[in-house]
Amino acid sequence: MTDNDVTRGKKILVVGVGNPILSDDGVGIHIARRLKEIGIPGVDIEELPASGLELLDMVLGYDHVVIIDAIVTNGGTPGDVYNLEEGDFERTVHGASPHGVNIATALALGRRLVGDRMPSSTRFIAVEAADIVNVSENMTPAVAASAQSVVDELAAELTRD
Amino acid sequence: MTHMSGPIINDTPTKTTEKKITIDPITRLEGHGKIEIFLNDQGNVANAYLQVPELRGFERFCIGRHVQELPVLTNRLCGVCPAAHHIASTKALDAVFNAEPTETAKKLRELFYMGQYTHSHIAHFYALAAPDFVLGPSAPANKKNVLGVVDAVGVEIGAEVIKHRSYGQKVQEIVGGRATHPCFGLPGGVSKQISEEERAQMEEMAKSCVEFAKFTVKLLHDVVLANQDYMDLILNQDAYYLETYYMGMVDKNNKTNFYDGDIRVVDQTGKEVEKFKPSEYLDVISEHVEPWTYMKMPFLKKVGWKGFTTGPSSGIYRVGPLGRINVCEGYTTPLAQAEYAALAKTVKDLGVTGPVHHTLAFHWARVIELQYATERMLELASDKSITSDDIRGVVNEPTEGVGICEAPRGTLIHHYASDKDGLCTKINMIVATTNNYAAINTSVNQAAKALIKNWEVSPGLLNKVEMAFRCYDPCNSCGTHALNGSPALEVNVRRADGSKLETLKNF
Repeated sequence: MTDNDVTRGKKILVVGVGNPILSDDGVGIHIARRLKEIGIPGVDIEELPASGLELLDMVLGYDHVVIIDAIVTNGGTPGDVYNLEEGDFERTVHGASPHGVNIATALALGRRLVGDRMPSSTRFIAVEAADIVNVSENMTPAVAASAQSVVDELAAELTRD
Repeated sequence: MTHMSGPIINDTPTKTTEKKITIDPITRLEGHGKIEIFLNDQGNVANAYLQVPELRGFERFCIGRHVQELPVLTNRLCGVCPAAHHIASTKALDAVFNAEPTETAKKLRELFYMGQYTHSHIAHFYALAAPDFVLGPSAPANKKNVLGVVDAVGVEIGAEVIKHRSYGQKVQEIVGGRATHPCFGLPGGVSKQISEEERAQMEEMAKSCVEFAKFTVKLLHDVVLANQDYMDLILNQDAYYLETYYMGMVDKNNKTNFYDGDIRVVDQTGKEVEKFKPSEYLDVISEHVEPWTYMKMPFLKKVGWKGFTTGPSSGIYRVGPLGRINVCEGYTTPLAQAEYAALAKTVKDLGVTGPVHHTLAFHWARVIELQYATERMLELASDKSITSDDIRGVVNEPTEGVGICEAPRGTLIHHYASDKDGLCTKINMIVATTNNYAAINTSVNQAAKALIKNWEVSPGLLNKVEMAFRCYDPCNSCGTHALNGSPALEVNVRRADGSKLETLKNF
C-alpha cells in the first residue's frame, strides 16, 4: 500500500462499497466496519451499498477519499489487492448502471459539475473476489485474509503522524 | 441549453459474416445481462434473447430469520431500488402481523417513497434515456453517456439534475433513516418520528423538485416529441410495439398510486380483466420457466403461457411506467394529470384507441410519473400532521402475509410466512423486472428482427435493439455493482449453428 497523498489535518473519508450479504462482494463493507470499530481520529468511515451517484453525494466536501471495493478481473487470484487511481478507470467511464452511472463516471461528473467541492485526491483499494453470486454474510477464506491485511495497513497508515 | 449539432439517430451498417450477435453486458443495465441474437441463413434474425445472471441462496438465507429482519435484508437484494423492497417488505409485515399502520405512518412511508421515485426517475431519464434521446442512438459510444448529455445540455442543467436527484435521496434519509438502505419500516408503522424542522426542509426540497419535473416534461417535449425522426422511431410498430396486457396499482378511483391500493389488469383494448388485493396474487399470476435463463417469467394464470407472443391469447403482461399509465384513469395531482391528458390527446390524434402499446412510450410515462411523484411529495411534506408521534399501530400474532407496492420499474410482490415465534418459514418474491421479463424478451426479439436484416449490423442498430429493453429500466441485479464498472452488456450475433459471428461489448 502506498502512502499516496493522504495528508494529516485534512478531511479524510474512507468508503467501503459493496453488498454485505453477497459473499466477497461485501469485502469493502466488512473492511469499513472493522476500521470503524478501531476508530481512527480525524477519519470518517462510511458504508455504501450502492455505487455511482450515491458515492458522489458522499464524497463532496472531503479533501481525500479512499474507496474500498471488490473487483473481478480476468484471470485474477482471489484475495489479490490492487491500489488504483481515478485515472485507472478512464476506460470504464462510459459503462453506466441504471442509476445511472458507475463510480468512475460519477466522479468525472462531479468534477465537471461541482468541481470545487470534490476531493483533491481519490484512491481505490480493490480486492479480487472469488464469489459474488452466493448470498452469504461471510467472505471466502482468501478474501477474508486479505480484508484483515487491508484493515491493518490502512489503520496504520491513517493513524501515522 | 448550449448549442448542439443534434442527435445522431442513424449510422451506416456494415455486412457481417456471422450468424449470432451477443450484446453483453448490456450498457446501462444493472447486473450482467446478455443479449443473444441468432441469424438465419439469409442473414436475418431468427431469434433473440435476453439472458440474466443468477444470485443463489437468498431464500435459504432468509428462512429461519426473524421476519422483522426482512425489510433490511430484502433491501440488500439490490443497490438500485432498496427503498421499493423496504416498502413492499414492510407492507408484507403489516399483513403477517395483521397490523394496520397509523395514518401518520402511512403518510411517512409514502413520502419516503416519493423521494425514491424522484431520485430513481430523474436518474433514469437523464443518465439512461437521455443518451439515446439527446445524443442519439447512433452517437459515438464514447460520447453516449451522461457526461455527453451534460456537454450537450450544459453544466447548469447537469447541476440541477444532481441537485434534485440528491433531494430525493435526502427525503429518504430524513424519513427512512438511511438514504440507500432504509431501516424505518416496522409492522404497523415506522420507527422514527420526524420534527417540524425536518418537515419544513422536505417541503422546500419538494417545491424545487416539482419545478424541476416541470422542466423535465418540457425538455422531453422540446427534444424528443418535437423531433420527427424520434417520433418515427417511437411510432415504429415493427420494432417497438407490443399488444400485451398491463398491470399496475390504482387507488379506489383507478388513479395511479405507487404505495397502496388494488392491482388492476387491463387487456389489449383497455378493458379491466382483473382487480385484486395483494393476498390474491397467486390466483392471478403463474410463473413460466425457460431452460436458457435463471429468471422466471410470470404470466396471467387465467390466460395461460403461449410463448413469446402477444395479443389476447398470450398471458404476457407489462408493468412499470407503461403498465401503470395504461391501467390508470389519471392522476390525483394537477400537473401530472395535465401531462397525462397531453399524452392521451397525442395518441388519440394518432388514431390510437385503448392502451398505448408503443414500447418507447415508457419514457413519456416515466416523466409523467416523475411529475406526479414530486407533486405528491409536496402534498405529503406540506401536511403538518406528519410530525405526529402516532407512528405505531397494534401488532398481533404473526402468520402469513403479502405486501405489494409499485417499484419504479413495476409491481413488486413480497410474500412471507412466519411461525408463532416470528421466524420466517417461507418467502416468495416477484420483482418488477421479473414481471416484465417475458415482455422484455418479446420486445428484444421484435426489435432485432425489425432492425437487423440481410447480414447488416452496426453499433447504432444494436443500440436501437438495446433501446427496446432499456426503456423498461430493467434491473437484473439485486446486489450487482462493481468497481470496474461492470454493469454492462455484450451482444453476440450467432449463425444458425450457434458459432459466433460478431461480439460487441462495452468492457
